[in-house]
Amino acid sequence: MSRTFTRRGFLELAGSLGGSTAVYRAAMGMGLLPVAARAARPVLTASGKSKKVLVLGAGISGLTAAYELNRKGYEVQVLEASFRAGGRNMTVRHGSRIDETGYPQVCQFDDDPDLYFNCGPARIPGHHLNLLGYCKELEVELEPFINDNRNAWVQDDAMFGGKPIRAREYLNDTRGFVAELMAKSIRKDALGAPMTADDWDRLREYLKQFGELDPQFRYIGTSRSGLAKHDYTAPEVLKAPLSPSELLKSKFMLIMSFGETDDQAAMMMEPVGGMDRVVAGFMRKIGHLVQLESQVQRILVRPKGVEVTYRREGRYITAQADYVLNCIPMHLLAGIEHNFPAEYSSGFTAIPRGKLFKIGFQMKERFWEREGIYGGISWTLQDIQQIWYPAHGIHRSKGVVLGAYTFDPVAGEKFARLPPAERFKLAIAQGAKIHPDYASHVECGVSVAWHQMNHMLGCAAQWDEALFKQWFARLQAPVGGHYLIGDQVSYHPGWQEGAIASAHHAMADIDARISAGGTQVVRS
Amino acid sequence: MTRAVLGLFRLWILLLLLIGKVIAGNDFDYCLLCHGANANGNYGIRAPKISGMEPWYLSRQLENFAAGVRGTPGDDASGHEMGPVGLRLRQEDALYSAVQFIGQLEPKRPLPTVRGDAAAGRKLYAACASCHGVKGEGNAALQSPALAARSDWYLVTQLKNFQRGLRGADQRDTFGVQMRAIAATLSDDKAVTDVVAYINTL
Repeated sequence: MSRTFTRRGFLELAGSLGGSTAVYRAAMGMGLLPVAARAARPVLTASGKSKKVLVLGAGISGLTAAYELNRKGYEVQVLEASFRAGGRNMTVRHGSRIDETGYPQVCQFDDDPDLYFNCGPARIPGHHLNLLGYCKELEVELEPFINDNRNAWVQDDAMFGGKPIRAREYLNDTRGFVAELMAKSIRKDALGAPMTADDWDRLREYLKQFGELDPQFRYIGTSRSGLAKHDYTAPEVLKAPLSPSELLKSKFMLIMSFGETDDQAAMMMEPVGGMDRVVAGFMRKIGHLVQLESQVQRILVRPKGVEVTYRREGRYITAQADYVLNCIPMHLLAGIEHNFPAEYSSGFTAIPRGKLFKIGFQMKERFWEREGIYGGISWTLQDIQQIWYPAHGIHRSKGVVLGAYTFDPVAGEKFARLPPAERFKLAIAQGAKIHPDYASHVECGVSVAWHQMNHMLGCAAQWDEALFKQWFARLQAPVGGHYLIGDQVSYHPGWQEGAIASAHHAMADIDARISAGGTQVVRS
Repeated sequence: MTRAVLGLFRLWILLLLLIGKVIAGNDFDYCLLCHGANANGNYGIRAPKISGMEPWYLSRQLENFAAGVRGTPGDDASGHEMGPVGLRLRQEDALYSAVQFIGQLEPKRPLPTVRGDAAAGRKLYAACASCHGVKGEGNAALQSPALAARSDWYLVTQLKNFQRGLRGADQRDTFGVQMRAIAATLSDDKAVTDVVAYINTL
């Protein structure tokens, strides 16, 4: 076998494993591409005096726009269809209403500040500077969020007969195996330029460290995978390495690097008391501008401004504005009457809607802490996919665990079609493969099927590269005074930072138009 | 004292009734969330136009969803979403009120989205006309709904659902069972789109 290990070869390998973003990121790491400058909060130069803005939807993008434009003197009104503000930023606690089509629920958790569940966003990476900036400005207190935990479990029916193993065992035993294999198979003469013979030695040293190999480049186990027992009065005994062929049977290999990705790696944050503290922070400043239970029925772009008709308490009300910033999910916008040109509105139905699903369980005892698990995620290849352990309220008596978080639309639909009690039963049965006495700890649960939640009917827009190419620029650009915003019009859907970026982009454009004194023309 | 307590109690009951009414009122706005403004349909989430549908047809389908007669087979994801809605509307007179609510909306003829050979579809439509009318106007006596001016993509979906047994396989769905037999006479996908293309001209 003649394997070259050139820079180009490495990039190809990275590409085959991680897609083109991996190639892009690896190339950035090698200094081949410039690092893009971060988009900062736009400086709005024009005064908004005597300009009216309607914001459709009180999600994070809408609230951001309302907060910023209100400060610049614009006359702002926010219309929100739901009984609550926040959009998918939604935290439930004692007595919260979960407004799902067909299956409305009321959260039965105990009345306790630590017993809450983030139904939508639940973690903030350290580089989401815009969101973190607003948290600071709006006095939203943050605390560390634990996303990745090597002590948590990995369970897959395909390996070890379905018996769970610790995440550290999967990660480090596969690494050890791969490192040994590579150290033994890389030949000195197979390294292409710019690798030299000296590099071969260094690479082997690297592999030794990477997999913790012994001096003969064999993997015979590592304390990284955990000790057989933690008896510190006796010599250390390593766990025997797990069978590589058994480990490789699991598709967990496809998600094993989850906690290392750009948005998921430590250090992450969460607001104290629930993610909706961000919404509460915005609402303290501009809550008086937000009108709830107002469902938009028609949007007409006029030669000058935009006309919006909405339904409130059974009546139709029409409002005019110079500009509209609209974060209504595109798949719902498609059902609203409008006069947008077809080359724009056809995009609304082109991007599939996400069907993510979550369950939260109130546990009467924090049993996972007895297993040495403090925060983080256990992974399973069953429908529930994940179990999250709360990083807050450690060592208190009770805790709220995430009992299911599915990314796969098939699994999402499977849960969604069941009544809540049946969803819980299924999630408990699957959770019991990780924690055998799981069921005995569950006191009550909440479930959130985002594609059935009223006024959302979907999770993050499911863009792919072809759709971005075909639709993004068009949907980001305005039609007259109408701007589409929300995480759905960002290259970071499913994240609040994406929602904020879209609002900033639209505001900057409006500001530039007003500064230029330009007249508004309907694009067609 | 007792009178004051009684008064408060009455006020409380009145409040409860009022809250109940408001919640019920808002519930019907939920129809518009999926089915679009004036319930004229939203292809974005595959919710058909229900505006202008016959009240008896709407009632029957909502009952079917609630009873699991329709929308239960595994592959009918959109049908599943209606099941719990039908169940909720079964409470008291909510189903009747929902149908009335839909009846007050302004139906709009949807833009055609299905492309097919309308001339070929015209011949195939002969089998449909006996129940649904030559103009696709429907026939209440036969419990056959109008087909003209409906969401055309939805007609395609339903014809295929009938063919695949996702609808009309449950024996309790008397009319669905009939429709399933008729849909089976459309030999392929082209026949389905052709007949719907013709319905678009009605």
